[in-house]
Amino acid sequence: MIPKANAIWVILLSFLVAYLLAIVPFPEWAMHYRPQWVMLVLIYWVMALPYRVGIGSAWMAGIFTDILEGSMLGIHAFTFAILAYITLSLHQRVRLFSSWQQSGIILALVGLVMTATYWIKVITGETAQEGMFFLLGALSSAFVWPWLFLLLRQLRRSFDVH
Amino acid sequence: MSLEYRLVAFLALAMSLLYMDSRYEYLDRVRYSVAYLTTPVYWLADIPTRMSFWIDDVFVSQRDLLEENTQLRQQLLFAQRELQLLAGLASENSRLRELQEASQAVQGRVMTAEIINVSNDPGSRRVLINRGAQNGVIEGQAMLDAHGLMGQVEEVLPFTSWVLLITDSRHGTPVQVNRNGERTIARGSRGDAPGLELEFVPDTADISVGDLLVSSGLGQRFPKDYPVAEVTSIIHDPGQPFAQIRARPLAQMDRTRHVMLVIPDDEAIVGPPMIFDATTDVVENVPVTNLPEDFSPAAAESQPAPAPNPAAGSAAQETAGGIQ
Repeated sequence: MIPKANAIWVILLSFLVAYLLAIVPFPEWAMHYRPQWVMLVLIYWVMALPYRVGIGSAWMAGIFTDILEGSMLGIHAFTFAILAYITLSLHQRVRLFSSWQQSGIILALVGLVMTATYWIKVITGETAQEGMFFLLGALSSAFVWPWLFLLLRQLRRSFDVH
Repeated sequence: MSLEYRLVAFLALAMSLLYMDSRYEYLDRVRYSVAYLTTPVYWLADIPTRMSFWIDDVFVSQRDLLEENTQLRQQLLFAQRELQLLAGLASENSRLRELQEASQAVQGRVMTAEIINVSNDPGSRRVLINRGAQNGVIEGQAMLDAHGLMGQVEEVLPFTSWVLLITDSRHGTPVQVNRNGERTIARGSRGDAPGLELEFVPDTADISVGDLLVSSGLGQRFPKDYPVAEVTSIIHDPGQPFAQIRARPLAQMDRTRHVMLVIPDDEAIVGPPMIFDATTDVVENVPVTNLPEDFSPAAAESQPAPAPNPAAGSAAQETAGGIQ
């Protein structure tokens, strides 16, 4: 049974904050350490409400990322759809994990998606950068996940989003 | 199983978007209109920076202000004196060019802008500025800061524009060595440290550490003779066909907020002093005779006027050090 959808604004607001955090200027040296906020929020909502936030929502979130970043349309839509698919197929197991185990999953997932994004960017000629230092972003994402998880769960419970 | 179908459907949709965006131009219009949605997000994200600037402005002691004011006055004085020399040089230059019947390629009008965001993609070096199509920004315009060339406008949105920096791994800047006119291309570094690499320079080329690279104007994108970078290291590897030369951009890529966009203008005259119009944010060329009183260079009174030759710049700086 699928409960009636409600409080969509909580989800949208959490995404808006994630987008803001994703584009707030960082100093050059800290660029690589920026957690992938949009991916994390997306993973959370897919895990918490798999019947509401799925591949389609992930695709939309990806398109908005593309527009915001000014990158080629479809790059992030492509990789976010894959992210949502993997999360959907794992969510029942990952929900039972302890928070550091979840962090490990996040590390793998975000790292995978970032690598895929990088590959597509290289193929389409969006970047010619060498080196895999951007994967530090996956590390910091895994690091902030436990706190973000608690925060979003608190938010979801207090506004009874289901 | 429907999950896999949906995944394939959305991936196909994303791929077709990618294909359309890379092959055709009509998605640019979509992007342009959607920017009305994203501009507020960037405006929101810029609030912390504006707040910190505001706090700096409000909580500043009078002593600091006075000190800064004195410093700026002095800088203006010396800048004005150099401008004076420049006016002479410019007229001389244009006379010489007339003799040679060469076209005058130096552009004079600029528009000020502020950097409001930096691309969060570590693979590209781009910045967002607060001027867009509404302010008359066009694609390909060159961007400068007070020290040198920064980049070119890559994508124009209604109120903002993306600027590709010269340190981006996809960007190549046609440059020449100021000392001897040796031409080459400075490409954005592909490694992790931001910088420039000179491409395809033979081992025998006369380039040494510390050389100033200026834009050569080839490629017709960047105005000629703007300072771009300084050569920092040269490695001659016998196993490599070309020398590996690195350069450091002179523009303050990750520190500056205030930048200038060069307005392409074919009729611009070479070199007369410019004046800033605060209402339109455009710096205009003005004939030397029309300069307002405040701009009359007082520096000339306090200093002996040296002969207008290229060495005058360094001489002026030495005198400046002496006075301070």
